[in-house]
Amino acid sequence: MTEIVKCALLLALFSVPCTRGTRYSPPDKPKLTSCRSPEKETFTCWWQPGHDGGLPTTYALYYLKDNSDTIYECPDYHTAGENSCFFNKNDTSVWVNYNITVVATNALGSNFSDPEDVDVAYIVQPHTPENVTVNVMEDKGWPFLRVSWESPHKADIRSGWITLIYELRVKLEGEEEWEEHHAGQQKMFNIFSIRSGSTYLVQVRCKPDHGFWSEWSSTTYVKVPEYFFRERSLWILVMIFSSFTLIILLWIVHMNSHSLKHCLLPPVPGPKIKGFDQQIFKNGRSDEILSALMVPNFPPTKSSNYEDLLVEYLEVYVSEEQELILEESKDSCLKSDSSTCDSDSGRGSCDSHTLLTDKCGEAKRERRASGEDSGMTIESQKGWEEEALSYTQEDVATPDVSSRRVKTWPSVFSTVPQYTTSPLDQKTSLELSKQHCLSDTLFPPGSSTKEVLGPNYWEFDLSNKQSHLPQPQTHGSQQLQAHSDVNISYTGNKQVPALLQLPGFKSTEYVEVQKVNQEDMVILQPVESDNCGRDEECPHVLQGEDYSKVKGVGSDNLLLLQSGVKARMGDEMEANGVSESCYTSSSFATTQKHIDSMHSATIPGQEEPIRATTGYVDTTTMFTLPMY
Amino acid sequence: MDSLVVLTVLTWFAVIALMYLKYSVMADAAPICSYGQATCHVPSLADLFDRVIQQSSRMHGISTDLHSEFDHYLPSKNFIGKQRCHTYAILTPDDKEKAQRLGREQLTEVILRLLMAWGDPLSQLHWSMSQDQNQDFNQYRSNKALEISDIVRELKDGVIKVAERMKRLGLNGNFVSYISPENVDPFSAISFYKRGELNSVDHQDLLYCFRRDSHKVKTYLRILKCSTFPTLDC
Repeated sequence: MTEIVKCALLLALFSVPCTRGTRYSPPDKPKLTSCRSPEKETFTCWWQPGHDGGLPTTYALYYLKDNSDTIYECPDYHTAGENSCFFNKNDTSVWVNYNITVVATNALGSNFSDPEDVDVAYIVQPHTPENVTVNVMEDKGWPFLRVSWESPHKADIRSGWITLIYELRVKLEGEEEWEEHHAGQQKMFNIFSIRSGSTYLVQVRCKPDHGFWSEWSSTTYVKVPEYFFRERSLWILVMIFSSFTLIILLWIVHMNSHSLKHCLLPPVPGPKIKGFDQQIFKNGRSDEILSALMVPNFPPTKSSNYEDLLVEYLEVYVSEEQELILEESKDSCLKSDSSTCDSDSGRGSCDSHTLLTDKCGEAKRERRASGEDSGMTIESQKGWEEEALSYTQEDVATPDVSSRRVKTWPSVFSTVPQYTTSPLDQKTSLELSKQHCLSDTLFPPGSSTKEVLGPNYWEFDLSNKQSHLPQPQTHGSQQLQAHSDVNISYTGNKQVPALLQLPGFKSTEYVEVQKVNQEDMVILQPVESDNCGRDEECPHVLQGEDYSKVKGVGSDNLLLLQSGVKARMGDEMEANGVSESCYTSSSFATTQKHIDSMHSATIPGQEEPIRATTGYVDTTTMFTLPMY
Repeated sequence: MDSLVVLTVLTWFAVIALMYLKYSVMADAAPICSYGQATCHVPSLADLFDRVIQQSSRMHGISTDLHSEFDHYLPSKNFIGKQRCHTYAILTPDDKEKAQRLGREQLTEVILRLLMAWGDPLSQLHWSMSQDQNQDFNQYRSNKALEISDIVRELKDGVIKVAERMKRLGLNGNFVSYISPENVDPFSAISFYKRGELNSVDHQDLLYCFRRDSHKVKTYLRILKCSTFPTLDC
């Protein structure tokens, strides 16, 4: 067919005279640009004409079907527009190879395009989706866009002849970038990440599963109204964040409350001993304490203000009626260790126990000093205990009872009853207190081994006592034992004297011996200057310089007080007999009678070898035994 | 320390047990049945259709990829006057109306014929491709060819199952599952394209034909499904 056409055209060309003068030429080769089928039932082919050569040119399209010999011409040149050929349903066969050629013809000749093979099944490009609607919907307060559309009406999806997949794109008004979403075969899509108060542009397109994408649909505009929820969520976030910060700050403040308190409300500083470091006591190193207590000018020899020293002294009255007044700085020493007041805390801010504690320390220092002055061996209260211990061990010595004054012990031991909760605590407290009191004990350099061992020994003993504490308490709980020193059991069996807390004992300096019970225990009671103790008559508190150290307890339940001058022998403490009872008071000589006898039985000049230089005598305040 | 180790081990065991239980439960939810298991969840006809259509779509996709790999400038043979594909004898509807008029049974039969006709040639194609030493990227093609032949085989079995289910449901009354093979000689199909060894040109022809036939299968299956389950959006 094509050959025939070619021959005819050539003849026509040659027949035309060439002397027209105008430059005419046969048309250029047309080009078949594309063939497309919108629904796989019809298709259209377009071509691009070349230069027409100056002459009116006609175009024709011819095709072959599936390798047959029959040439067909395009049935419809007009439906699809200029330079197109439209194949309707009747002329369209799918899965059939079309071999298409376009011919351009003018007076001078014709030109053929290159043949193209077309299979309708592979050139499907549907129309754009129709009825694209966008709605703003709400999901739990958050807006989202719901886009819905319909398939192009010509594409037959219902029968399954074509399967379309969709794609849509969104962008904010005024922006350049589109956000594309693949929608698969569904005809609806939700877009969630949108901003309220903005306008969005939406477009949709489709394609068959093997084919070409359609054109984008016409733009659909949608305006999203303002949503308050979004802003509210911001506020909620801000509030949560700030509350977290606040909680963290509060926690920090709470953790540092103590230091803050000190910073904002500094405690009132109290009087301090000049040149004396309270911390030394707490450290418990005897060397430092000793050196610290070395005050050259102390104690003042003249016009000594004994009022100051008063608190540290234990005044012991020896009389028939009067009971032994023991001054106990009850829990002072012990409490000092365990108190929360530091050295800077004022007296008023701490309880009086602490007060006593401090004074106890002072007293020790003073005693020590005085002891030195007097040449007496300075004993700490601990020393007494040691002494007592030593006595206990060796069945010694009757304590000498000073009529006036007995060195006050820090109420190390008295505190023990307070800690009846656990023996361990008591032990600890005892030891602490002991440490406190003992620490300022001055041991002469040449102290015997015994002295050195004293504290340790003493401690050990104390600990033992501690373990027995509850027991005695249950048994002999009636009595209050003199605390601290008194607690030390002098008995060989080392029974722990019950440490009972003096009832209602305030941090006064004096302890009144209420009575001596049958078990040879001295019952002490706190004495207040203001109020009396248990007894009706207030004990006559001797304020004075007199004090003496109890050297020991005599065999006959006598307090052996040691004076600077002479040592008095007191009755021996019946340590053994007073087994389970608290021996704290026993050291003070159990009975009044004994005390009396002790007084009367002072043995001047008898120097008992003091086992441990635990005793000390305040030289300046040499006691004078009242003669009753 | 020991207790910690024991605790960790116990926790791991618990986790593993939970995972096993979960997955076993999941498996029990929808097991794939094969031959009369008691606790089987039998897939519905719609599920079968979906699976089959998925496979056919995949098959067509791979064939398109393979075909596009060949050099388009290879001169195609002059097919004028003769048939290009060996399945020319299978009468297939080339129109929507024709396909719809064909009916379910015949449509199923056409599909099966096509699938059965391509089983052997594809194996040959794969074998031939794997033999070709010249091209470096032949391994990719060879693997694809193997994949296609597997899919065709599975698809054939699937379509048979669908047809049988339809018959049981009364939708495919006249369906005959046994289809006499077109050619007795297993090699005759491939000999349509070339006698002897296939070269790359032959590969291209073969793939051209297969691409078309796979598209047919896909379309026919869809029509079959949509005519069986008529919904708005089939």
